[in-house]
Amino acid sequence: MISLQFAREIEGRMNGHVENMHFKQSIATLLSFLLLMGVHSTRTVGASRNPACKTSLQRTFRLAKLVQFEASNVFKTYKESQGEGSEFLCKAPVNNIPDPNIHGLEASERISSIYTQLQSFIPHLKRVYEQQKDLQLPSSPLLSKLLGVSDKSWDLTLTINDFYCHAFPNLPPLEPAGGPTTLPPPLNVFQQKVYGCVVLKTYKEFLTNVSKEFKSFKGKVCRRRMRKNAMF
Amino acid sequence: MGYVSALPLCALLFFACGILADTNFQSHLLMFPQNPVIEIGTNFTATCLIFNTTEVTADDLYWKLSDVNIPREQYRKINNSAVSVTVPITRDRSMEWLFCLCNKKSNYVILNKGKFMHGLSLRTGYRPEKPQNLSCISFQRKDAFLSPLQCRWETTGRQTPHVPVTFTLKVMQVVSAKTISNSTKASWAQVEFESYPFHTELEIWVEAVNDLGAVESEHLRKEAQHFVKTNPPEVKVLSEKSFPTSLLLNWTTPIPSPYIRLTYQIRFCSPKSPGWSHVPLSDINDKMNSYRLQDLRAYTPYTVQVRCSDVDNPHGYWSEWSRNVTMMTPGDKPSSPPKLWRTVVQNGTRERLVQIICKDPEFSNEKITRFDVKVQKLKDGASNQSEGWKSVFVNRSEAEDAERSITLLEQISLSDLQSVRVSAVAFNSLGPSPMTTLTFLDKPQDNPPVEEMEVWPHEGQLMVEWKPPRGRLPSEYVVEWLSDDSLDWRRASKSSKHMLTGKLEPFVCYTVSIYPIYSKKVGKPVQTLAYVEQGAPKQGPFVKLDGEPRHNEASLVWEEIPPRFRRGFITNYTVYYKLGEETRAVSVPANSTSLKLESLTRNSHYEVWVQASTVAGSTNGSTHSFITMKYAPEIIEAISLGAGLTILVVFLICIYKKDTIMKRLWPRVPDGRQSSIGTWSPDCSLKVEPPKESCVSGISVLVSMCESQNGFEEDKASLSLRKDKYTSEEHSSGIGGSSCMSSPRQSVSDSDEGADIADTTASTVQYSSVVASSAYKGQTPASQPQHSVFSRSESTQPLLDSEEHMDMFVQEASGRFERLPPHDNTCSEVFSAPDEEQLDCCQEADDLQADGQPAPSSYMPQLGGYKPQ
Repeated sequence: MISLQFAREIEGRMNGHVENMHFKQSIATLLSFLLLMGVHSTRTVGASRNPACKTSLQRTFRLAKLVQFEASNVFKTYKESQGEGSEFLCKAPVNNIPDPNIHGLEASERISSIYTQLQSFIPHLKRVYEQQKDLQLPSSPLLSKLLGVSDKSWDLTLTINDFYCHAFPNLPPLEPAGGPTTLPPPLNVFQQKVYGCVVLKTYKEFLTNVSKEFKSFKGKVCRRRMRKNAMF
Repeated sequence: MGYVSALPLCALLFFACGILADTNFQSHLLMFPQNPVIEIGTNFTATCLIFNTTEVTADDLYWKLSDVNIPREQYRKINNSAVSVTVPITRDRSMEWLFCLCNKKSNYVILNKGKFMHGLSLRTGYRPEKPQNLSCISFQRKDAFLSPLQCRWETTGRQTPHVPVTFTLKVMQVVSAKTISNSTKASWAQVEFESYPFHTELEIWVEAVNDLGAVESEHLRKEAQHFVKTNPPEVKVLSEKSFPTSLLLNWTTPIPSPYIRLTYQIRFCSPKSPGWSHVPLSDINDKMNSYRLQDLRAYTPYTVQVRCSDVDNPHGYWSEWSRNVTMMTPGDKPSSPPKLWRTVVQNGTRERLVQIICKDPEFSNEKITRFDVKVQKLKDGASNQSEGWKSVFVNRSEAEDAERSITLLEQISLSDLQSVRVSAVAFNSLGPSPMTTLTFLDKPQDNPPVEEMEVWPHEGQLMVEWKPPRGRLPSEYVVEWLSDDSLDWRRASKSSKHMLTGKLEPFVCYTVSIYPIYSKKVGKPVQTLAYVEQGAPKQGPFVKLDGEPRHNEASLVWEEIPPRFRRGFITNYTVYYKLGEETRAVSVPANSTSLKLESLTRNSHYEVWVQASTVAGSTNGSTHSFITMKYAPEIIEAISLGAGLTILVVFLICIYKKDTIMKRLWPRVPDGRQSSIGTWSPDCSLKVEPPKESCVSGISVLVSMCESQNGFEEDKASLSLRKDKYTSEEHSSGIGGSSCMSSPRQSVSDSDEGADIADTTASTVQYSSVVASSAYKGQTPASQPQHSVFSRSESTQPLLDSEEHMDMFVQEASGRFERLPPHDNTCSEVFSAPDEEQLDCCQEADDLQADGQPAPSSYMPQLGGYKPQ
């Protein structure tokens, strides 16, 4: 833009000099092109890799995949441990379960959404664990797996926060989930089973989305933009 | 400075007041600091304070460390009631006591000695040093469940028992700053997680703490999965019939990839390979769970192992290798020709017995079932006889080593001028091998041998090295090694210059040959002998004497040790020979089998044995004994020759001087039988003489003569000579009869010595003297009668003595006489006494008769026994 104005200024000063107009227009065009090329190349050179961010992204992605794997495993174990008809448990509607979908347009917004929703799921996971503790034998693998998923989900939350700090150092830090999570009131056994199934299923879906989201960040997020005003 | 000094004193006073308030302890001395922990290598300063008394001052105090008084140079008087001491702590003085004492001798001090002393127990040690080489590991138990994180480190620096170092392992999850720790006095510790924190960063360090300080190790900062050592994968191996040189591997990952992404390493081996072959790491990525091994040998068992490691941590832990999985590759038709060779047995004639032998192809690819062989005899390089293909079926047991088994294909007899071309094909159940052909020439010298062949042992094998022949380059080589009971060979390419034979028996002599092969024609070989390992000979040589030993030398000979007992190249023989306790040795070269021992002691018993030596040791052979001669054979021969010559000379002299000797030894004695006497003295014609002393003497002489005649004829001469001596001196006739008649004493001393004595005593002890003046009795008397003259000795004593014991003489004579055998001539000569003697006898008989003795009765047996002839 600046270069165009500069060119036009030159053009105005040269008004009246008909014989030189054509020549001067050519120079202006050439200068404009060169200035545009210079700005573009400056931007390109300024975009450099951020190793800590990349490492953190990789770590977060791998942990998200692991939690997804464990969530899927827990869901499978949960269904196996609920006896006959477990297929239908998850089809019943349950309110106040966090949304498995990720919201936001920018990467930072989507990461913030992941961070908030993940925190929202953790109390539900703990509630399911407490419910299943009453329903399962203490030696049930479901209990240990539920605990493991809860622990790793918390680790994932922290890791996402760490990644966010590396990826968006100039943005405000992520905030904890706003307000207390709404947990279901006391339920009967069937309702507990339905609740647990829906929570785990939804959580699994959410983590699948999270994994996909972080996979999509590769090569996009961890790029530090450094403007080098070499020309001006 | 004053402030600094006053501060501890105030504290000390405060502390003392506290003690006094708490207890009723009435000590007037107090030390500061209490319960000190002192670093070894530093100076320790203690202060002693006097309180609640003016009885003593600081000058009255002194310090003692254990039992040793501390020099006053190390004291520092703070004021009149306080004194400090500085002690260098150069070693561990834990549990030693530092005392503050009073040396004043006042009554109060003496009576209250316990109040004027105070001590403190020292604890000394070293500051902790930084733990080094911290490393952590977590073992996979099953699935994703892991054992606690175990960490180890190296403790550096020294510790004392009273100031120990405590190590605290601290593990912090970086994102959450959550730290778990575990303390120990050892050099390892472990921490346990509720859920192993995969993909979270851990910061791990060790803190070393004791009473003198604290120090931290370097911090390890890694993601948690990088400390994991997983289980090995489960491996399956598949064999596919359509791929005889390939095996397919499948494995299952020991831990799901969301936890740890693993990379794999594969290794495999076959019984024929020297060790494990590894698949390059770059050929395998973390997404693979199968791999195809290619370019394997058909019909060969392969053992496969796989292990895994974190792909994101190149320096992470590898799992253990998976268990062995062995699979045989499928069979195929033989892909290489059989290994054809021959042995030649010379049968002494011009015919050669050639055995065509064969080993299985190197790539038999399955069990060989038969060989087809064709033999063509060649003459002048052209085939003139072909017997066609002949099949030799192979029926080996499973236990036989197919690669080393040798199959006899054909046995043919060839003349020296014949060459033979042999072709062979091996078959297994899947088809034939490529054909191999070899031509054995009658004149291999046309194809030059290799040069500079060398053989030496190498790890139980023989390394054969050679240089190719000059001029012509062979197409390949055959290296053959042959022992008493084994034969093997191996082919080498034309570019080869050395080869290992394979494992061979130690202590066995191998004949190693290299045959160049020129266009399938066997060239002239080069041979050498070699051992893989040499040992001392199994037995020593048997030694024996070569001929008879001499007085100072002996020749020994021994046989070479049989080749199977040599166990190495004989380097030399050592011949030992032992005389008494002294043993000597002579070393001779290995090619010697005999030795002449010289400078031996004559007439001595020697033990000799031979020791055979190789580079690896020596063995003694059997011991042989011999005795050297007393004299040299030459000396014996010389003596014998001299003696023989002497005898010969004497004999010749005797022959030459026969008559003289005969005359001297056996003087001519007239034969009485052929003589005739005309007239006998009437007095003594047939008169039997009574025994007299002279007769007894005569009998004694007779005995000697009889004995002489029986055994010692040669003494006759000397005896006669001796008698002759007497006769010549006494003018006797020389016959024993006269002598015996003369005197018995002289006859008893009838020796040279006796003769001398007789000579010296003849004048005084001569008993009788006989002078023969007429012929003997029985001889023909001379025409003129001769008168015998008898003279009697003047000596009377012996005779008297004899006469006094006449009876005894008679009895003795009678007894001795009875034992004598009858004798003709001599006795007749004796008893055919000459007249003179007869006369003497008569005279004696008269004398006896005069005495009234019945002489004839006692003498008759003698007459009867010795009848005159």
